[in-house]
Amino acid sequence: MLLRAEPPANGGFMVAAYALVAVVLVVYAVTLFLRARGLVAEVKE
Amino acid sequence: MAALVFAALILVIFNFARDPTVLRAQDLAPSALWVTITFASVTALNRAFAVELDHGALDGLLLAPVGREAIYLGKLLGNLLFTGLVQAITIPLFVLFFNLDLHGTLPAILLLAFLATVGFTAVGTVFSALTARVQFNELMLPVLLLPFMVPPLIGAAQVTSKLLAGRPLADSAGWLQILVTYDIVFLTLSVLVFPAVLDE
Amino acid sequence: MTSSSSLSASSSFPQSSTSSAVVAARKSIRLGQALTVLALVALAAHYVRAIQYTPIEATQGLAQKIFYVHVPAAWSAFLAFGILGVCSALFLWLHDRRLDLFAEASAEVGTVLTLIVLTTGPLWGKPIWGTWWQWEVRLTSTLFLFFLMVGYLTLRRSIFDPLERARYSAVVGILGAMLVPFIHLSVYMFRTIHPKPVILNPEGPTLPGSMLSTLLEGVAIMTVMYLGLVLVRYGIGRLQDEKEARHAAQG
Repeated sequence: MLLRAEPPANGGFMVAAYALVAVVLVVYAVTLFLRARGLVAEVKE
Repeated sequence: MAALVFAALILVIFNFARDPTVLRAQDLAPSALWVTITFASVTALNRAFAVELDHGALDGLLLAPVGREAIYLGKLLGNLLFTGLVQAITIPLFVLFFNLDLHGTLPAILLLAFLATVGFTAVGTVFSALTARVQFNELMLPVLLLPFMVPPLIGAAQVTSKLLAGRPLADSAGWLQILVTYDIVFLTLSVLVFPAVLDE
Repeated sequence: MTSSSSLSASSSFPQSSTSSAVVAARKSIRLGQALTVLALVALAAHYVRAIQYTPIEATQGLAQKIFYVHVPAAWSAFLAFGILGVCSALFLWLHDRRLDLFAEASAEVGTVLTLIVLTTGPLWGKPIWGTWWQWEVRLTSTLFLFFLMVGYLTLRRSIFDPLERARYSAVVGILGAMLVPFIHLSVYMFRTIHPKPVILNPEGPTLPGSMLSTLLEGVAIMTVMYLGLVLVRYGIGRLQDEKEARHAAQG
């Protein structure tokens, strides 16, 4: 019978990567939204 | 002249910047040669349009009844001649400094040099016209152009390394195909987009 | 030597009527914001699915799951760049300033996406390959994407005349877009000749169905994310453009 080894304990990398992606996207989106809001208020039809 | 001295100096630095017991001259040689040619060419291209710009000759050229494409081809040929000259001196220097035995591969190496150079000079000629009137152009040209020099450089270095190891040119058919395709694609594109770089 | 003609007078680079530009920009921003929020929420759901409901790869462990954000991000970075190339080519043909503004938006969003790929790549590489970086096809091509996009944006920042800026950027955009297949090909050939010993194949010989579907979900989400962000950024670009045109008309 083949004994399967435990998968390596590298969850930390996953957490870091997932956190990074979320943070970057949210921060960028917020930056864009704020810039947009400023310009929409400023440039009238 | 400055480009030549620059090229020679880079070769010298490469030779000393390695541990001779670990890295044989022959192994380092292809990279050294091609990196040198790359940087010397970028230097040359930086100046390519500078002279015309300084003397307002570019406007004169534009007024002349010559197609934009002709201006491009003229510039391209000029650049090729210049880089060819730099290479004509760099390659012998390189053989000398690295104590290489060429095994009669010189024609193949020259062909390679030509193929690689046409590729990046085609794009370089467009970019040098483009960056001539841009701020920080000494930096802008390399920043824009260096990515374009990578595929020809990889191909040329790989094939040179094979040639120096004594393999026939036919062994490198794949790389040669890439080089030729690159040349055709970028020459065509460059001729097509060049008019957009000159003012209306 | 920049042209002194006013922005709206240049017939080869026409400005749309100013109020329609603002209306269009606002619509783009609203749609973009909706799509972005949708994508962010979907991303959160995707995280749950990837972490909780997708099986753990036995030999690679949890770190393999970085795959489910890294690959979709790479896909949308290349999408952004491809669209930049297409818009650049179309601009040189049609001279529609909206194409130029969209290309710029795509470049900026693309740069952010590229950064995500280039940071998650090493985070995946270290546990899986044992090294932070490998000169393999995806990472190397993405690195070049980064250089090209940054070069593109830097060039734009150094040109002040809008028509000149649009034309020159378009030239760089087209040439850059054509470069990427060659980078890909060259690295692939290089790797075939000089393979690095890869201890584990991150994608596995075949991807089990459950993993594949999670991956595809990721790709769909990142595509919508790109669309949302680019539409907002495009709207911003149009409003900016309109603002500058009004200043120039007054001044």
